Amino acid sequence: MEIQGPLKRGLLSGLSITFMMVKVIVPCYIAIEIIKHFGLIDIIGRVCKPFMSVFGLPGEAALCLVAGYFINLYAAIAVLTPLGLHTKDITVVALMLGICHSLTLETPITKKTGANAWLLLLVRVALSLFSGVVLNLLWK
Amino acid sequence: MIFNALRDSLWLTMKLLMIILPLTISYEFLKERGLFSHTKPFFFMGITRAGLLPLITGIVIGLTYGAGVIIHSIKDHNIARREAFLILLFLSVCHAIFEDTLIFVIIGANGLVLVIARLVLAFVLTYCAYKAGLFKD
Repeated sequence: MEIQGPLKRGLLSGLSITFMMVKVIVPCYIAIEIIKHFGLIDIIGRVCKPFMSVFGLPGEAALCLVAGYFINLYAAIAVLTPLGLHTKDITVVALMLGICHSLTLETPITKKTGANAWLLLLVRVALSLFSGVVLNLLWK
Repeated sequence: MIFNALRDSLWLTMKLLMIILPLTISYEFLKERGLFSHTKPFFFMGITRAGLLPLITGIVIGLTYGAGVIIHSIKDHNIARREAFLILLFLSVCHAIFEDTLIFVIIGANGLVLVIARLVLAFVLTYCAYKAGLFKD
């Protein structure tokens, strides 16, 4: 089996893909820092607070969901841990966030593959909300 | 603020290099051995043998890395656009299944419920999209 050809091709395309991803990643991280800096998460979290009972969650969990959707799972965990929720509530939040998170970074990356990133974004948000409602109803 | 953003993106770039390079190199070797020559759907969701690599990569280590391999395979014409959409649909719902689950299990979530729910939702959704014949090439 030839070794040099595939090795060189793999190395080159790996480097070019990484370079392409970096061009997407850097602006996304800057956007995330701006969102954090201006306290946008707090504002959106406060708006969503009254709707949390649909998922059987306390109002404070809104901030956690919004942080997960816009920033990443680690930001969400940092907000979630001090709330001291029960296993059921944490699992509901975790399922919702597992399906839908880090949208500011993952949507542009999805777009890079050429797929319909907006449709996928819509599917993720809808499925996240849907699964939160369903899991809350199923888990008594 | 800018410093944080640069540090975080540098860290992700390092991780990308360490993960993407071995993947693209092994991909080229597997292709050299003719492993991806079957173009017929290999899986009931319309995913071919070539699509299995990005799919499994994404499920195990995450969407960012999975997308990297998908971009590579599309450029290589081994994966059709429609199949790429199906893979991304699956991965949107279910990716980085170990990392995402564990960080919530640590703070008290039920990991089994999380893994099963995400896998089932992803399979059902992808299968439906495949059968519905969305995005014909």
